[in-house]
Amino acid sequence: MAAWDLSVKVEDLGPDAPSVTISVASDLHVGGVILKLVEKTQMQRDWSDHALWWEQKHQWLLRTAWTLEKYGIHADARLLFMPQHKPLKLGLPNGKTVMLRACFSNPVFQTVMGICRMLNIRHPEELSLLRPVEEKKKKKDKDLTEEIYDLTEVPLSSVSRPCLYNGMPAHFADSEQSEGVYKMLSVTQPPPAPEVIAKQYRPASVVDKSHIHGRWLDSSRCLMQQNIQENDRLWLRFKYYSFYDIEPKYDVVRLTQLYEQARWAILLEDIDCTEEEMMLFGALQYHINKVALSEPQMMSSNAALDDLESALQSLEVKMEGESSSASDLLENMTAPDLNDYLKIFRPKRLTLKGYKQYWFKFQDTSISYFKSKEESIGEPIQQINLKGCEVAPDVNVAAQKFLIRLLIPAPEGMNEVYLRCENEQQYAQWMAGCRLASKGKSLADSSFQSEIQSIRSFLAMQKTNSGSSNNSAASDESINTHSLVSPRYHKKYKPKQLTPRILDAYQNVAQLSLTDALMRFLQIWQALPDFGLSYVVVRFKGSRKDEVLGIAPNRLIRIDLGVGDVVKTWRYNNMKQWNVNWDIKQMAIEFEGNVNIAFGCVTADCKIVHEFIGGYIFMSTRSREKSDTLNEELFHKLTGGHEAL
Amino acid sequence: MDDIDAMFSDLLGEMDLLTQSLGQEIEPPEPHPSTSHQIDFSVGFTGLNASLHDLEDNDLDALMADLVADLSETEKKLEAEIQGLKAPPSSSSDLPPPPKGLGLQPASSITSPPSPGNNRSSSVTTTSSSTTSPLPPPPLQSSKPTMEEIEAQMKADKIKLALEKLKEAKVKKLVVKVLMNDGSSKTLMVDERQTVREVLDNLFEKTHCDCNVDWSLCETNHELQLERTFEDHENLVEPLLAWTRDSENRVLFQERKDKFEVFKNPQNFYLWKRDKKTLKDMKDKDKELLVQENFCGTSIIVPDLEGVLHLKEDGKKSWKQRLFQLRASGIYYVPKGKTKSSRDLICFVQFDNVNVYYGKDVKNRYKAPTDFCFVLKHPQIQKESQYIKYLCCDDAWTMNLWVTGIRIAKYGASLHDNFKTAERKAAVSAAMWTNRSTPSSSSPSTPSPTIKAKAATQANGYAPKQQPGPTHQGIGNLPAPPPLNEILPPPPPDPVLPPPPPSLASKPPPSKFPPPPLSMDSLPPPPPPPPMDNFSEDPPDFLPPPPPPTSYSSLPPPPPPTSYNSLPPPPPPTSYNSLPPPPPPAPAANFGRNINKSLPPPPPNPEFLPPPPPDPVFVASGAPPPPPPPPPPAPAPVSAPRSASQLRKMPPAPPKRTTPSLPAPAAGGDFMSELMTAMRKRTDQ
Repeated sequence: MAAWDLSVKVEDLGPDAPSVTISVASDLHVGGVILKLVEKTQMQRDWSDHALWWEQKHQWLLRTAWTLEKYGIHADARLLFMPQHKPLKLGLPNGKTVMLRACFSNPVFQTVMGICRMLNIRHPEELSLLRPVEEKKKKKDKDLTEEIYDLTEVPLSSVSRPCLYNGMPAHFADSEQSEGVYKMLSVTQPPPAPEVIAKQYRPASVVDKSHIHGRWLDSSRCLMQQNIQENDRLWLRFKYYSFYDIEPKYDVVRLTQLYEQARWAILLEDIDCTEEEMMLFGALQYHINKVALSEPQMMSSNAALDDLESALQSLEVKMEGESSSASDLLENMTAPDLNDYLKIFRPKRLTLKGYKQYWFKFQDTSISYFKSKEESIGEPIQQINLKGCEVAPDVNVAAQKFLIRLLIPAPEGMNEVYLRCENEQQYAQWMAGCRLASKGKSLADSSFQSEIQSIRSFLAMQKTNSGSSNNSAASDESINTHSLVSPRYHKKYKPKQLTPRILDAYQNVAQLSLTDALMRFLQIWQALPDFGLSYVVVRFKGSRKDEVLGIAPNRLIRIDLGVGDVVKTWRYNNMKQWNVNWDIKQMAIEFEGNVNIAFGCVTADCKIVHEFIGGYIFMSTRSREKSDTLNEELFHKLTGGHEAL
Repeated sequence: MDDIDAMFSDLLGEMDLLTQSLGQEIEPPEPHPSTSHQIDFSVGFTGLNASLHDLEDNDLDALMADLVADLSETEKKLEAEIQGLKAPPSSSSDLPPPPKGLGLQPASSITSPPSPGNNRSSSVTTTSSSTTSPLPPPPLQSSKPTMEEIEAQMKADKIKLALEKLKEAKVKKLVVKVLMNDGSSKTLMVDERQTVREVLDNLFEKTHCDCNVDWSLCETNHELQLERTFEDHENLVEPLLAWTRDSENRVLFQERKDKFEVFKNPQNFYLWKRDKKTLKDMKDKDKELLVQENFCGTSIIVPDLEGVLHLKEDGKKSWKQRLFQLRASGIYYVPKGKTKSSRDLICFVQFDNVNVYYGKDVKNRYKAPTDFCFVLKHPQIQKESQYIKYLCCDDAWTMNLWVTGIRIAKYGASLHDNFKTAERKAAVSAAMWTNRSTPSSSSPSTPSPTIKAKAATQANGYAPKQQPGPTHQGIGNLPAPPPLNEILPPPPPDPVLPPPPPSLASKPPPSKFPPPPLSMDSLPPPPPPPPMDNFSEDPPDFLPPPPPPTSYSSLPPPPPPTSYNSLPPPPPPTSYNSLPPPPPPAPAANFGRNINKSLPPPPPNPEFLPPPPPDPVFVASGAPPPPPPPPPPAPAPVSAPRSASQLRKMPPAPPKRTTPSLPAPAAGGDFMSELMTAMRKRTDQ
């Protein structure tokens, strides 16, 4: 067969270097081309990751056994010889950017699998890549160059198996720098400064949100085919809100990033919630930050406890510690004494004018009061059982007002009682006591001291916030409460007003461990009515106006744009089949009971919608029997377009 | 050190006296300083004397039995303690706190953390020899503890024991009169730590009802004309303590269809907007999926409820309409002139401090627009108050939707757990019913296979909900052990027959877990078909040990603390009492752990507990039931003794019960008719 000249650009020679020309025949297979090419360049290096990219056809020549003829390559083909893995700037859910080598030649689904393996995130099928929202480039922002965590040096080969070393996957343990990256991945970020939140793009309407979902990359095509270039920036996000089998022990990074994504969704009002819920989210963020700071090693050491032996070991140490100190045990049994002069006021009873001072004594879950300390041996004037009562703070540090408002249940209704404390210290103790008692715990409860601590740190917050706005989201004690809520509440409340409300919500979560707090945050997020909805503007067949299709893990909903109401819901489990007409870009879905719907997609390619639906159906097929191996084929079958088949 | 030692032995003595005296004092429910609560709350009676008169004979019997059990419990504890001191270190560590404080809230005690730890490690040590343990034998443990360590350990144990006793002494017990459907009543002693589920189980034993999942305990408030169903996981005593002196409130034992309706027909709650017909034609598979989606995910999903309700609050007389919305975090309403968007909603109530009740007769009492009213109030409020919130719906169904929705938001996963437990319980008793009724028609041995089949299918019915790990799956369905047991009952007319089980037991399970034969030796020949369900339902870590009751019996010695930790109520201590010194402690320990963790309700089957050989007399008296051998009316005795034993404090040999009076002591003559109705009900379904 006649030989002809094929010119190939070799990326490693530099952008300006001339193409390398080799003499080939049409029956030469791609592997042979590469071999010739490598010989010709005379460069000594590892070429194993390199492959040929055919520019005109927008296609990789990955089948090395195929001949040029089979590929249909002629002398006019512009070929590029380059590595398949290239650096990519990846925006993580926590807002940080990591630079790593991602595969540009495999379908995005596999690329994401590779990225997740590198980052140690299980169940990569739930994540995908998304083109970022263009940031408005203001000139003055230029100087704020963001920190980029570099993982490009991690050899790809070492990533294959996530064996733990020192509590982290081995490939992170290579250098101090990569250990730092792992820490960034696995530890929650401190609350962002309020301006950072305010500056971020916030979708204002359902339509805005639907535009974001038009940015997802196509999972069945590779990055190169989607015009992603080396060093481009993409976002890695959880795409399918169906989080399978979260296991805090193995999912340190996954859980952390999921929390971060949820947190930002709340802060940026990507998902709506009520004020009460916002306060609880705020309290959880505060708590998570605090716990993460106080036990930064917890996460990794937890993972290290992976093996049972060490768990037993630590258990034994604990036991020894406990059994040896018999007196400690007893000490713990006896509740600390709490008694003092306080002032009491009953708003409902008109007879008592103002506050009256008595000697108060805390016993079990009740408080009793006496005329004076000297008379405290006898019968109290009254004993108030606090179990089941409501406790609310009314504090103004600047005005030195430390009030505990109690709403005490009685058969006749609720009785209001105010206790006034003299100073912070006293207030913190009595408040902590009342809180515990309201939950039926006595002062002997181990959480008493920590409760006091948290009350004091909230008081401290109020102190610092009452001055000028302290913006740098910094240490534990001085968090600006505006960092914990969405900008809407920045306008509505001053930090000072926000603090007691968050504190109020905080008392219900203050005892949670880091993992539990993260899980609680996710649970509340998942319980929000709009959770898991991805929006696309569509036009239903026969309809003249745009409407919104909401895609949830278990159903599709049709939203009227005018009213904002859900008009109709279809569940996937009633779905019989769905078809895509790629030519007219229309999706047709058939449900049981002869329900047929068809729509064209306005804000997103219909491949995206198709992939969402197929993806969710794929997610629902996962089960433990099928073990952890990902059924990639099924995913592509369900989500792939016509090309994939 | 010696001082401390002495101090503790003193303390222990004191404690024993205290607990004992407590038990005695309860016996005649007379006022006593430390139990003052009790007087106020010998619920439902106007006076104490009257209450005593009110009690029917068998009630008294039951109460007596309870009380005697209390006494023996303390004795037994002593015994256990002594054993603990004698026993080798590893097991001794487990002994002291045995059945006792298990029900106590772990949060409140510093002792609880250590004890689980203790047990875990020790159970591992003990099992390591038998290699069955799923855990790799911990090398650390194998080294023998030094004398000092042992001493220290013993001391710590004593302390723990003392602390447990301190707590035990404080446990409140109430005498509760429960009204039956037919107007009769039963009187029970309920202790603070018992959950409604346990009390229900108790009542099942006493009433021979069909044990279906709808049976509930309800509270009525006479003064406010309110009513609510207790949730199975609640403690019963606590809400009763909120009742006022002389209150006319009642506790009812009733079938309440609404209790678990959401799990039977989830579509009616989660897809209520759909048209009625599609809801009715819902396939079981889709129902199951709905339950799965809403209750088995990471988060519990509350039905999406929204609608205009009539509200009366703040003690005002008027009713006003508002658009309400239910969310996981509470009930909200849309303020005037605002949109329905989440951020504008105003919080009406959060559920931490309120319970939801059905209001009765509100139209008359409060001029309500309709009679379909639900009420939110703090459980302690017992009288008219401005803090009670009344909400009126347009129809009964809407009311039901809201009440159920609120319960889901308030109790979350517990509701589903309750349902699963109740379902299990119902399946077990259903199997028992068939078991009991069939023998009459044919020879006792023939029916059992059918029953087995039935039980098995039922079990498999929900097995898929919780997929055990692949490895365990085989085990989960392992039908082998239970059927065998089932076939067992017929033969032993003399229940003292301990030999059969070992051989039986050794057949099926050994492959999975070597040690059983050992422990099985100590097993009596129990007939219970129930375990099957537990098998299929249980989490993966559940090994296929012999049926729960049996395991129970093998439990006695050291391990209880851990195993029971997860169990609300303390197990029937008396059963241990009758048990001779611990059998091979090693496997038992292992068993205890595995089983009881996954076993929500304490298998109420002390009669299966016939202590191993040494004590034939007991077996004979205490366990006539298990084998339903001779006469067809066997069913009655089976459940009768159980009822007593069900109470956690069954006396070693309750005098009255044990005389195998075949006609059920409690139900007397009605029993057959009750049985008939139950049967009819079942066939109707």
